[in-house]
Amino acid sequence: MSSDPRALNELLEESQDLQADALRPTHEALDELVELNHSPNDEDHASNQAFHVEHQDRLRASLGATTLLGAAGGAALVGLLASPAFASSSSDVQILQTANSIENLAISTYKTALTLPYIGGSAANPVVTKFCQVTMGQHMQHDDAFSAAVKQLGGKAQNASDPAFVPVVNKAVKSITAATPSAGALQVVALALELENIAAETYVKDTVLAKSTTNKALFASIMGIEAQHASVLLAVQALLQAGAPQLISLAPGTAAMLPAAAGSVGFPNAFYKTNQAAPAGQGAVK
Amino acid sequence: MSKKSKSTKGFRGTESELVSMTSDLDQLHHDVGMPAMEAGVSEMIEHMGEAPGPKSNSRRTFLIGTGAAFAGGAALLAMGAAPSLAAAASRADGSASRLHSLDAAFPPANLKGDLAVAAVAASLENLAVFAYTAGLSAATAGKLGTVPPAVAQFATTVKGQHTQHAAAWNSVLAGAGKQKVTVTYPPLTPTIQADFAKVTDITGLAQLALTLETVAAQTYQAETSMLKSSAAIGLSSSIQPVEMQHIAILYYVLGEYPGAQTSAGTPVAFNPTNQAV
Repeated sequence: MSSDPRALNELLEESQDLQADALRPTHEALDELVELNHSPNDEDHASNQAFHVEHQDRLRASLGATTLLGAAGGAALVGLLASPAFASSSSDVQILQTANSIENLAISTYKTALTLPYIGGSAANPVVTKFCQVTMGQHMQHDDAFSAAVKQLGGKAQNASDPAFVPVVNKAVKSITAATPSAGALQVVALALELENIAAETYVKDTVLAKSTTNKALFASIMGIEAQHASVLLAVQALLQAGAPQLISLAPGTAAMLPAAAGSVGFPNAFYKTNQAAPAGQGAVK
Repeated sequence: MSKKSKSTKGFRGTESELVSMTSDLDQLHHDVGMPAMEAGVSEMIEHMGEAPGPKSNSRRTFLIGTGAAFAGGAALLAMGAAPSLAAAASRADGSASRLHSLDAAFPPANLKGDLAVAAVAASLENLAVFAYTAGLSAATAGKLGTVPPAVAQFATTVKGQHTQHAAAWNSVLAGAGKQKVTVTYPPLTPTIQADFAKVTDITGLAQLALTLETVAAQTYQAETSMLKSSAAIGLSSSIQPVEMQHIAILYYVLGEYPGAQTSAGTPVAFNPTNQAV
């Protein structure tokens, strides 16, 4: 990788071409998805609903330990659980629209972060800048894929951000803009980390909830990418907190200087959790 | 950013903070992650018992399964570099999928559907445990040159997580009255053995680990749309992102962009499955 902006642009263009190639089979399979979703499958539905209820019971039980964004999702979940309409309306369209809303929030958050001099400006660590740029681009691609899937099912893509998380993000952004560069950088990383975990956990859950195999495959192809974003952010956070920002580098020899703990901080659990996952209908178009 | 011109300084921060953070996360894992795994596996056993046999979703059964799986891991280590089920197939064309079709003996014929997938998953996890164990042994013996502390920590932690993944799948098999899988995935074992024999430094070991993690992550990803049981999908999906995280940190250690990418190093927004077994 290079700090040359032209090289970065070429990289992003190449990535976009690859995305188009990657999405082609998805688009082809979407026809099958539409067909599948128009034919009821009571057995799958019952099984998924049972898992969903069990999962949500666990989620509700863990709400006390969640972080702010998780709590925001959880609060909305409690409301949804109390709604009789929810039990019969958990469709792939809603799941995809909620995924849209999470991606929209991530995109706007990275976009805002990149306007900060210590994230996207000349004072920024180039690795952090590039990570934010590439990650924002990937969230745009995820959003496009979810939108295409919704439209293929006859639904309307969600263009807004997840309403349960927006107030929390807005509050965090306000705090970030008033913070010093070092404190602000840590807050940006913490906010991005939380959003990435919400996205990853939601899609892990969605691989179970989605009715069609095509949608399951779509969520599965994205959940690990979001988990990688979280992993990188965990490592960056740890190095910032340890006062070692110079080790946020891809230069040869960096690995030899990393503290031992940096080798494991990026994957804290052997099994990815779902306690911060957004409820299926939270970001659905109303 | 130029990798060649960029200089770095040695770590001067407070490692105790990082150690403390890791300790907290480890505690969280045991408080939250393991109970979640137990619940998930118990539910999976309940849903996957397609064949006659003892079915139980009790904690006791789960623990028995886990303990036995750890014993299996010990047997695996005793086998060292010569897993007993190593197949004759080689990976000349780099196609893991092709290799899988060459070996008809695995998974065992009495395993169908999701249970067959569980057996393959357990054997892939065993292969990862074998590779990290061998790597750590070689490093300890001084065969790989200077080993950065972060790399040693990575290998030790990841080995532990793969052991837990294998235990989870073996608990599923044991709960359905099937034998646990203690062998490494036969079609890939000879290739990994041959590749490991060529490893002379940490970079080579990291690249081998990258291959294994990629195969595992892509296999779990592909399984998501093939498994029938919701609980099985949930277990598979809870592991795939963790393997992806291993991949991200391996790329970082190798000085490359820390995320899924093409062979040319271009980051990808959608993880492929062309290396799934």
